[in-house]
Amino acid sequence: MPDHWAFVFAAYAVAAALLGGYWRHLLRRQRDLERR
Amino acid sequence: MSSSKAEPGRILGWLAALGLAAGLVMAFGVAPPEAVQGNVQRIMYLHVPSVLVAYLAFGVVLIASIVYLWRRHQGADRLAHASAEVGVIFTAITISSGAIWGKPTWGTWWTWDARLTSVAVLFVLYLGYLLLRAMVEDRERAARYAAVLGIVAALDIPLVHFSVYWWRTLHQPPTLLKPGPPAMAPVFLVALLVNVVAFALVYAYFVSKRVALLRREQEALA
Repeated sequence: MPDHWAFVFAAYAVAAALLGGYWRHLLRRQRDLERR
Repeated sequence: MSSSKAEPGRILGWLAALGLAAGLVMAFGVAPPEAVQGNVQRIMYLHVPSVLVAYLAFGVVLIASIVYLWRRHQGADRLAHASAEVGVIFTAITISSGAIWGKPTWGTWWTWDARLTSVAVLFVLYLGYLLLRAMVEDRERAARYAAVLGIVAALDIPLVHFSVYWWRTLHQPPTLLKPGPPAMAPVFLVALLVNVVAFALVYAYFVSKRVALLRREQEALA
């Protein structure tokens, strides 16, 4: 079977975007609270 | 937040980051390509841990919801809220990685078989849970409604897990959480377990951070 590296990297990239996006969302909320 | 309170969260964050780095090394550097699927099977080190952590997250929602309804403990409500939010993120990773893995191995991104459908239902149920919390303005009422939904929605977890036994599906049977020894070579199993621990640490870090934020938001509104 071909290796399909593009699929492997796509799966990890989506996961990184989701985890990184949520982390940034938490940091933004924290900054907003500290600014109040 | 004082530095002494932030310290355990920071340590957990660093542990999670180290865990993820170790997981990547195991998945791409240590585990060999699988004999039949080749390198595309490396998606397993992302897909399986994310669904296991989603089970954990929604299991925590279930327990915290019961505790909230029983004792009306605000901390239990905050834990349920935070855990549901993080569980939705891990379910999204499960669905996206499964679809991307499905295309080269099954020839399709998506099929309405029992496992995939029950996971999609799980995702929608907990998105609904978060929407419900956001829609009801009265905090006590929102917490009560959410706790009931958090208990009912958990009924889908065994349905997801056992769907591959109860119905004929395209999806393979569970890799872990099944009776008997794991059906894989030790090197694959170790790589998988390292990633399970890493994802569990990320879950713990996110939940601790979200619970602290919820507490501060509630204190600011009081």
